[in-house]
Amino acid sequence: MGATVLIVDDHPTFRKFARRLLEQCGFVVVGEAEDAAGALAATLELRPEAVLLDVLLPDGSGLDVAAELAAADQSPAVVLTSSRSAGDLGVALAEAPARGFIPKASFTGAAFAELVA
Amino acid sequence: MTFWRNGVRTPAWWAAAILGVALFSFDIAGYVRGGTTDWKTVFFLVTMAIALVTGLGVWAWRPQTHMGPLIYWWPALTVAGDLMVAYPRSRTAATLGLGLYTMGLIVFAQMSLSYSNGKLVSEYPRKSLVGRAAWFYIFIGGYAAQVIQNLYNLAVVDGRGCPYCFPTQERSWLYIGKAPFSLDWWNRGWGIEILVVLPIGLAVTWLKFARQPPGGRRTFLPIAVGGTIATFFGATVLYFIVVADQAALGSVSSYSWIQTAGQLGAALAVFVGLLIVRRARGPIGNLVVELRRAGPGGVRPALARAIGDPSLELALWLPERGVWADESGVEMSLPEGRDRAVTYIGDDLAALVHDPVFLHQPALLEAVGSAARFALENERLQAELRAQLAELRESRARIVRAGDEERRRLERDLHDGAQQRLLGIGMALQLLQTARDGDREQLLAETEVEVQAALAELRELARGIHPAVLTDHGLGPAVRTLAERSPVPVDVGASDERLPGEVETAVYFIVAEALANVAKHAHASRASVSVARENGIVRVEVSDDGVGGAALDGGTGLRGLADRAGALDGTLEVVSAPGAGTRVLVVIPCAS
Repeated sequence: MGATVLIVDDHPTFRKFARRLLEQCGFVVVGEAEDAAGALAATLELRPEAVLLDVLLPDGSGLDVAAELAAADQSPAVVLTSSRSAGDLGVALAEAPARGFIPKASFTGAAFAELVA
Repeated sequence: MTFWRNGVRTPAWWAAAILGVALFSFDIAGYVRGGTTDWKTVFFLVTMAIALVTGLGVWAWRPQTHMGPLIYWWPALTVAGDLMVAYPRSRTAATLGLGLYTMGLIVFAQMSLSYSNGKLVSEYPRKSLVGRAAWFYIFIGGYAAQVIQNLYNLAVVDGRGCPYCFPTQERSWLYIGKAPFSLDWWNRGWGIEILVVLPIGLAVTWLKFARQPPGGRRTFLPIAVGGTIATFFGATVLYFIVVADQAALGSVSSYSWIQTAGQLGAALAVFVGLLIVRRARGPIGNLVVELRRAGPGGVRPALARAIGDPSLELALWLPERGVWADESGVEMSLPEGRDRAVTYIGDDLAALVHDPVFLHQPALLEAVGSAARFALENERLQAELRAQLAELRESRARIVRAGDEERRRLERDLHDGAQQRLLGIGMALQLLQTARDGDREQLLAETEVEVQAALAELRELARGIHPAVLTDHGLGPAVRTLAERSPVPVDVGASDERLPGEVETAVYFIVAEALANVAKHAHASRASVSVARENGIVRVEVSDDGVGGAALDGGTGLRGLADRAGALDGTLEVVSAPGAGTRVLVVIPCAS
């Protein structure tokens, strides 16, 4: 039984394909959220072991969500992702309390598993 | 000595000045030789000297009126006549004195009634009752009658052996002899003439006073009072000489200083009145100099100093905009109510907003306005320019902001649209690598959908940046394409004629935005677009039969369209009464 994952992204296409890629690698996707508020609520409710978190959310920054998740008890492993490159997102990305960052263009289940492990 | 430098002195002025000084010298010399140190004589001479100096001053400073000579001849003739008192035993002095007797007083009366522009009761029309009465008073009852009286005196008066009968103790060189008829009858007639004429003079004087503006009354009051006293006294003396008994004359004559006092009051009033005029003219003179040096925005402070109202505001009428603006071109409204007063300058040129206390000095405000007219025209142009500049700056900033906004929107559209599709396609390809047969077909179908959607979004985006149909086929076909895509039926009237690229682009986006507004806000059943080029001007009209009520600043993007038109020296007008549909009218110059 693989680790449980919550996918947070405002684009349904990405959520759809990311779910399949993660499931292919044995993860159990327990839920999806499309904005920052939804991400926090779903994390509290579903207690996933890992969160795939988009940096640019319609109602705020994924980096702030990551910081809040890190402050909570039993904080999940957070992996950040974005359609932009790490360079476009600036230094705040490197300082965020997350396992790592995967650009969407090179997202694979294996890359996610490596960071979460 | 600016007073001296500012004066105009003609040969006539110099002759008058020399004559005046000579008359005074002779008169004083006569009194000194006769041993007269009477204070009444000194008082009389000082008064006459003040009048003489005032007359010569006004003659030099205001040569365009007759005021100067009028004031001058009053003391000059009076002193010339007074020679017979200074030289009681000279026949020449007696000739002068009897010939000019009271002539100075009539000149004085004429001067009083001609204050302050040298024209007899100019407050009333010449042909009016008052105008005619004044003329009769001065020229018939005054000069003509006095000349007859004086000719008579020259012919018959003989002061020898009767020290108190006449001011002189001699007879004139024109003496003929004792009157052939009774002196009493002549004198009675003379007395009646005076009693008829004088009330006319007094009435005219005070009617003139009644017509003075509030500022003018202050100056004219001493002249009117002095004139009244002097004339009354003159009349009284004359009456006693001619009608009453000779004994009474002696006691009346000893009060001649009252007449002099009246004249002194009038002389001082004329003098001060002119000083006030000069004080009012001083700032105007300075203003003219200051205005010549004033840079942009320097007109208001200069006017404030000239009027003496630091709170003065300047409003300039901008005819192209139809609004009042301050010197920096910022629109302002003229105050209503009693706290501030408004004085207009020129026809639709400018307005002074000032303390209401200055309403009592309309002449000052008018003079300031006239002096500043040219500068104000200039200032108005500057304000107009500044308003245009400010507008240009705003529109430029808006265009830049709109450009930035557009780029942000493009980035967001690319990010949320085609980019997400392509990322999805990439991930689907990954899945395909390991997918089983059944999944494979479904994945391929999903990928196909994503590819089509990405292409459609890119096409839409490209059209938003610059439509190919516009580039390739021009405005007519491009506008027809817009009309076809509009959810509201649109009638299009546009030729296939090609226009300069920037005009086509501007018109295209204006029509696109206007039609988008029709679809979004107008609730219209039909719309129409017409584009026509005529005489180097492109006219565009987008109209609908919807709810109307659209405004340029209503946040519907119309302002941005106006800026687009403005960038090409064009204009955009929105006619949109509530309930009466909306018409967007665009005019852009477009030389062939």
